[in-house]
Amino acid sequence: MKEEAVQLGEAGSLVGIVTSPPQGNENKPAVILLNPGILHRVGPGRIYVRIARALAARGFTALRFDFSGIGDSTVRLDNCCFEKSSVDETRGAMTFLQTTRGISRFILLGGCSGALVSLATARLDRRVIGAVLMNFPAKVDEEEPADRRRDRHYYWNFALLNLKSWRKLLTGQSDYRKIGRALAQGVKCKFIGQSKISGPDQQFRAALWELADREVQLTFVCAKGDLLLQDLYKAGGGDLKQLYAQGKVACEVIPRSDHTFSSLYDQERLVATIARRVDAAALVSKRHVHTPEIAAGPLETLC
Amino acid sequence: MKAVQRVVPFYFGMQGRELFGCFHEPSQKRIRKGSVLICQPVGHEYINSHRALRQLAARLAEAGFPVLRFDYYGCGDSCGEAGEGSIARWLEDISTAIAALKTRAGSFPVYAVGLRLGATLAAIGGMQRDNLAGLVLWDPVVNGNNYFQELLSLQKEMLRFRPKPKRWFSTIVRQLRTYADRPRALAQRTSAWFCSRNTEAETEVLGFPVSNMLRTELEELDLLKIPGKPAPRVLVVQTTQNADEIGLKDHLIHTEAQVEQQRLDAPQIWLPTADGSLLVPAQALQSLVSWLSGVTS
Repeated sequence: MKEEAVQLGEAGSLVGIVTSPPQGNENKPAVILLNPGILHRVGPGRIYVRIARALAARGFTALRFDFSGIGDSTVRLDNCCFEKSSVDETRGAMTFLQTTRGISRFILLGGCSGALVSLATARLDRRVIGAVLMNFPAKVDEEEPADRRRDRHYYWNFALLNLKSWRKLLTGQSDYRKIGRALAQGVKCKFIGQSKISGPDQQFRAALWELADREVQLTFVCAKGDLLLQDLYKAGGGDLKQLYAQGKVACEVIPRSDHTFSSLYDQERLVATIARRVDAAALVSKRHVHTPEIAAGPLETLC
Repeated sequence: MKAVQRVVPFYFGMQGRELFGCFHEPSQKRIRKGSVLICQPVGHEYINSHRALRQLAARLAEAGFPVLRFDYYGCGDSCGEAGEGSIARWLEDISTAIAALKTRAGSFPVYAVGLRLGATLAAIGGMQRDNLAGLVLWDPVVNGNNYFQELLSLQKEMLRFRPKPKRWFSTIVRQLRTYADRPRALAQRTSAWFCSRNTEAETEVLGFPVSNMLRTELEELDLLKIPGKPAPRVLVVQTTQNADEIGLKDHLIHTEAQVEQQRLDAPQIWLPTADGSLLVPAQALQSLVSWLSGVTS
């Protein structure tokens, strides 16, 4: 396969790498990988490089690039917020591949904030025929501090089934106050919950239906060990379950993995899962290219 | 939107072993008589320090230096898989990068700035090839064996509260299912698997593989034993209280290098942070820019 350094965006300020398949594009959609948070286009554990090369080996052109101010790309000098600039730059990346390589269909792939950008761009641009959203950061209850959410997630999902944790509990080595608080909050979340759906959750569910109606192939890939998984289930609620049951949305959970898929074994499973889902999305896609539609009003945000 | 500074990404080096680099063009306000090669760390330290080193390159370019940042073979955007890197190969990559820098920047003397293992590699490479006019060693890895043990401790610590990957268990279950009706094949397969674990077992640190070859090379690495000077002028920057670094300055002086040392109160940018942020130590960066500006004036 061939890897090429490219500069795209306004004044060539964005830096990216295009990984081209050895036998040419094979008339498949291109995959664009979006920054996972503030990490540059290589990704944690160099996972984005692995994903791009694996996809190229399967006949997909892959582009990894850095948003403005991240990695090797230059900072923006205007006052455009990241929520808008990241979507604009992603659309610019699609246009770049369209004009330089004649590719007109795209699958977006992003981790964490990259997943948010992927979803937002998919809603705005009909060239997007699929999106792989890794550890999607659905809206959370901001009243609960982040460290307590992590504790709750750990104790409810791992410590209860861990012999070492029980040994520490029974030998007086545990933080009993922390455990009590985590378990109490867990009971509240699991069994009491919230009867009213929040505004952001409603928007999220509406976005899922909108994309499903357009036959955009959405895949959520989540690490079992990441507390964002529970947030996703909560945010998506019954709508997510319904869409999943209808086969309009895919949810893949990587067991015993964490937010950054820190182990090589996690990475292998992640790459295999993504390759499988991208293959599936490419097969299902039957849409022709439309002229990209520009959003008429202010950019909607999901969160 | 107007670009602040010109950065040129490109691939260079031998076909099939191309390395990725970012060349920062110098500000036209003042062009220094020297170019700078940034030798990055590897593994998770590379990921965590990328932002800071990019900022360093930008500041150096603003100060008038042509700058090249690059990824070693098997790292970053360069060719090669993660487990294919080695000290020997990375030393060659530094020489290749110096040649690429000179092609783009002209025949100015080359100064290297290395962080962590990148500093160690730059020092060894400079000593072997005598191709550096100056060198900044930013928290260098002095003893490779201690460094490797630190990596293992970090791996253990970072994964302490994360679900443990039970690859061996899943592998056993999978093999039992596959060979359930072929006991002899199962026995052979199991025997081969145990042998491979003993001889070809690969270590990993926070998502990066460490091959047995690299591990052996690291265990033999010792900056206190390099026989010659890495560069005529050396700046040792220390932000840690690492016992390994005691004696480094004296040893480098013994090699007849002109050595300066700075102790800075700055974060260890190569380490993971609790909130996932990437640190940019402005004071440390400015200190490096000032020193390089001074030696090239």
